[in-house]
Amino acid sequence: MDGEEENPGPFRRTSSRTRRMASRMASALSSSDNRAQAALARLDALESDNAGAEVVDLNDDEYGSTDEEDHVLMQKKQSKNMKRKTRQGKALEKRAVRSFMDVLQEANLEALPPHVPTYLRAAVGPPSTSSRRHYCSVCGNSANYTCPRCGTRFCSCRCQVIHNDTRCLKFVA
Amino acid sequence: MTGGSRVVVIDNGGGLLKAGFGGDNDPIAVVPNCIAKSPGSNANSKKWLAADQLQAQDVDVTGVTLRRPIDRGYLINTEVQREVWERVLRGLLQVDPTNSSLLLVEPQFNPPALQHATDELVFEEFGFNSLCVADAPSLVHLYEASRQPSLFHSQCSLVVDCGFSFTHASPVLQNFTLNYAVRRMDLGGKALTNYLKELVSYRSLNVMDETLLIDDAKEKLCFVSLDVPHDLRLASLSFKDNPFRCSYILPDGITYKKGFVKDLDEARRYCSLPVEGELDKKDGDRDIDKDRKKPELSQNEFALTNERFLVPEMLFHPIDLGMNQAGLAECIVRAAQACHPYIQPVLYQSIILTGGSTLFPRFAERLQRELRPLVPEEYQVKIISQENPILGVWRGGSVLASSPDFDSMCVTKSEYEEMGSARCRRRFFH
Ligand SMILES: [Zn+2]
Ligand SMILES: [Zn+2]
Repeated sequence: MDGEEENPGPFRRTSSRTRRMASRMASALSSSDNRAQAALARLDALESDNAGAEVVDLNDDEYGSTDEEDHVLMQKKQSKNMKRKTRQGKALEKRAVRSFMDVLQEANLEALPPHVPTYLRAAVGPPSTSSRRHYCSVCGNSANYTCPRCGTRFCSCRCQVIHNDTRCLKFVA
Repeated sequence: MTGGSRVVVIDNGGGLLKAGFGGDNDPIAVVPNCIAKSPGSNANSKKWLAADQLQAQDVDVTGVTLRRPIDRGYLINTEVQREVWERVLRGLLQVDPTNSSLLLVEPQFNPPALQHATDELVFEEFGFNSLCVADAPSLVHLYEASRQPSLFHSQCSLVVDCGFSFTHASPVLQNFTLNYAVRRMDLGGKALTNYLKELVSYRSLNVMDETLLIDDAKEKLCFVSLDVPHDLRLASLSFKDNPFRCSYILPDGITYKKGFVKDLDEARRYCSLPVEGELDKKDGDRDIDKDRKKPELSQNEFALTNERFLVPEMLFHPIDLGMNQAGLAECIVRAAQACHPYIQPVLYQSIILTGGSTLFPRFAERLQRELRPLVPEEYQVKIISQENPILGVWRGGSVLASSPDFDSMCVTKSEYEEMGSARCRRRFFH
């Protein structure tokens, strides 16, 4: 992927979760186009809760299993807590990596007869006119130019200089 | 069965959870539907805050790690949901679930696996004694129809719910959502906040870890443009002449625990602009600029200009984000066109806007302008904004929960135990 590994600072949010998703979607499109992959990863990131490594966090001590601390929410009957913990232990293994997209795949909605309304059939679909407007990545103005190296948009010489100096190949979009 | 006991109504949104009692005008709790943990390693850092705890005056949400029960609009993590519900039910509503019914608003097309998980949470973990599941559009219709019966004598409306996780255009007929005609865009407030985070981080200050703060900045500063090229031109003017420029201050952990808009008058300047053209005429009554120097931004501050309208703009043109989906106006038209031609004119006359993302100033006006050319000329286009688009669904739930036949719409705990989730669910018709 374009510059993904050397993403510094703020743009580390291409977590392994989004990377995995991107590669799955990309293989579905059988696309070898890195920019297209990067664009999909970026769209996926728009639905993420935290900037960085979500997967790592889930292996962290989970709120429910560290009951020794006086968690306000955990003031519950001990027996119930025990029952919970084991169930949670099992559930976390599975659910830690399960996203809505995973559930959707398991639901196998494509197999339903065409008259049944489903999540997939409710999707609005592509726009009737596909004229995409581009905005300068540096300042937000209408952008008529494209960086030949990374495909990022910019509007003027001034913004091109800023882009080349500080941002080129540092951000996938 | 439920006689005597109260009905708990929960609109379990991806961003905000709204909870209260059936029959009341307003919910008791309107709280973030998430848990969060502060960064750092001091004594408190291992503690997860849930729901209203995140709203407390002395809580600084800088850099928190978030866990949400809801992914893309669907309840996917019941562990996290249980924590939030515990807090809301026992802490805020102070209700005993085993003595109550639950009216739960559930997203449409909820996959069976997630329905089962929800039933488990409701009956086995919390022990509610009955459950009724309803979808948001029918509740919004019910609420608006109960308030203004004359407006909806035709018994149908087109509910546009632009919330946190996604946006739906849903035709409703006689309190039933016509699910075959529902159309969805995969864009809502969450994606817009993340997009704003991305823009600010790229252009001025790294805020990638500040979801809750940027959410606040978005709510307070973003608006919908009625003329994007024109506003872009204004936004490119230098500092004092730029009517959109304003800044947001992040908490510094010492003086400020919460983020805030630096200068509210500055933030509202765009409201007094003439809507179209006439840029030069306006110069006369504008203050004479004393300094045109770039104002210094403090370390905890970022400025917004065109981001203020380019962010909500994505709802109208997702293609600009590289998302191959039709925008809101087309989404509405496609939902209407999926209905019988007989009701289409009536649907266009009663478009109801709900959901927090419809709160951006000028949202309805822009939608009207985009929709008009797409709708047959002989049809009227009428857009109704809910009085409170965040609470609208909950209020509909409150109306339903206090209706005389509510009990007959519920599945009881014993029915659930007898028949299991799948068969009980058939009662809810979706
Ligand atoms: Zn530029
Ligand atoms: Zn470049």
